[in-house]
Amino acid sequence: MKAIFSLLVFVSLLFSDATIEVIKKVESLPSIAVEDSSSEYDSTFKLRFYKSLIADLNVLSIFNVDRHYRHIGYNDLVDVANKDMDYVLKYSLSKGDSDVLFVDIKLLQDGEKVLTKRYKIGRTNIYMFISHAIAYDINKYMGQPSIEWIKRKVIFSRIVAPMKSEIVISDYTLSYQHIAVRGGFNIFPKWANKKQNSFYYTSLDGKKPTLKYVDTRKGVSKSIMSSDGMMICSDVSDDGKRLLLTKAPNGQPDIYLYNIETHQVKRITKYSGIDVNAQFMDKDKVVFVSNRMGYPNIFSKSINGNDIKQMVYYGRSNAACSVNGDYIVYKSRESSNSFLRNTFNLHLISRKTNFIRRLTAVGVNEFPRFSRDSDAILFIKNYKGQSSIGIIRLNHNKNYLFPLKYGKVQSMDW
Amino acid sequence: MKSIVLSSVVTALLIFSGCSDKKPVVDDRSNANVQEVAPVQTETISSENSSVYGYGHNSSVSGSKTISELENELSSIYFDFDKFTIRSNMQSKLSADASIVKNEANNYSVKLEGNCDEWGSDEYNFALGLKRAQSVKKAMIADGVAPTSITMVSYGESNPVCSEKTQDCWAKSRRVDLKLLP
Repeated sequence: MKAIFSLLVFVSLLFSDATIEVIKKVESLPSIAVEDSSSEYDSTFKLRFYKSLIADLNVLSIFNVDRHYRHIGYNDLVDVANKDMDYVLKYSLSKGDSDVLFVDIKLLQDGEKVLTKRYKIGRTNIYMFISHAIAYDINKYMGQPSIEWIKRKVIFSRIVAPMKSEIVISDYTLSYQHIAVRGGFNIFPKWANKKQNSFYYTSLDGKKPTLKYVDTRKGVSKSIMSSDGMMICSDVSDDGKRLLLTKAPNGQPDIYLYNIETHQVKRITKYSGIDVNAQFMDKDKVVFVSNRMGYPNIFSKSINGNDIKQMVYYGRSNAACSVNGDYIVYKSRESSNSFLRNTFNLHLISRKTNFIRRLTAVGVNEFPRFSRDSDAILFIKNYKGQSSIGIIRLNHNKNYLFPLKYGKVQSMDW
Repeated sequence: MKSIVLSSVVTALLIFSGCSDKKPVVDDRSNANVQEVAPVQTETISSENSSVYGYGHNSSVSGSKTISELENELSSIYFDFDKFTIRSNMQSKLSADASIVKNEANNYSVKLEGNCDEWGSDEYNFALGLKRAQSVKKAMIADGVAPTSITMVSYGESNPVCSEKTQDCWAKSRRVDLKLLP
């Protein structure tokens, strides 16, 4: 009996480690169908909303989502084709004054109503945010860990022509897109705080690369500092008061810490090669990319010390990383012959175990960014000429891609 | 510093209002349970009228070559994959470039633009482009070019000279371009 208990404890510990890949779940996922009860709006918009909702429910990764569009009255019984579904989500779109969109939802479990809610949004064409909110609430009702990331905004730089880019703010599916900085050559946007109401980016339009700051509510941009060669904001501390920068005075890329209140700049690394892409880790450490072993790899060091430690022991070329708690996700080149089948994949490691989990399979996968709760990883995928933003649900072993309609994603943050 | 023109385009970007901490309960009074998604105004910063520094100039001293003419005489320096050391077959081109910068173009400063192939858009790739520019800078200084007349920038993979998915195209992108600034 004790042995069985120990085994159960071991198994539960094993599956709490995100580096362990869940190959097969014993239980099948519950089924869910979605029924549209809207009497207003044209069929094009109704179908668009339906698709957005289906996509969000899929990303939850907790249902087998039926993809058949059905139009049934809100107070009617569920469609006969859906009678054996574990859950049926009914919704109705209705118009308010001045382009306001109302959405009523009703979640039925085995025919019984278990959740109802009404949503309102100021403009019809930004319906996708209601779709995300519905998915968030259903996930919460199902007792799943919070998916706060579904509410967060993504900011990315889109290359539209050589040395021409746009900085775009979007939802996580790229359905909503607002160009925040138009024209010029601006890259590496980074949210300046948790509220996501301001951001930093690098402008390459001047004589020297310049770090700029934008308050999105006021539309005000100001220069923070410039550096010869490189000037990138790699990470922002949780309180928004400290920045990790890659600067390259005299052409030497190193990592610097900048205090936005005192304006003090502290050099963190002093290496004759390449030190870039620093991320805050724990209270007083940074994780960064360096070629000090002759190839790019992931290292850590104290902000105030010289205790440099190699963090990753797998991969020939590990050129980007993101850290959250004990987990580090990094980009690794898979092939030694770069041009035959050159793929970059993302790998996940834990600082507490020796396990490595490969998160992607084909294409160029890069720029990983953890969600704050480490439940999901956002990344850039370029494959067969298509640039996409992808999301990895770590605990569900699922990846989803949202392709960009034009241009190529250069970098992003969320 | 370039002026930033604030456009009048105002778009609504939305955040979700906080959800109730209460456990979901069935509530048929639909209007009593409305979650409104509040809009946040987001302005657009426009820098469309700005031009990349140093481009578009074509001034010349009477009788001398224009910047464009001199730039056409400068050769790009090419690099191996993931490397920033100067290849032996690039030495002669580099010396010729240094000679032009020291003599005919000595009234201008030179901007070294490091570039990479399309394999990666991360900071490391930008740093690689910069280290390539730094290698060219060191070689030019060794050839007698004044250090103060040289500036560097990296464009990473964002300034390709071609778009084909071939080794030849990628090799053309791993380069340092030399631009002249007045």
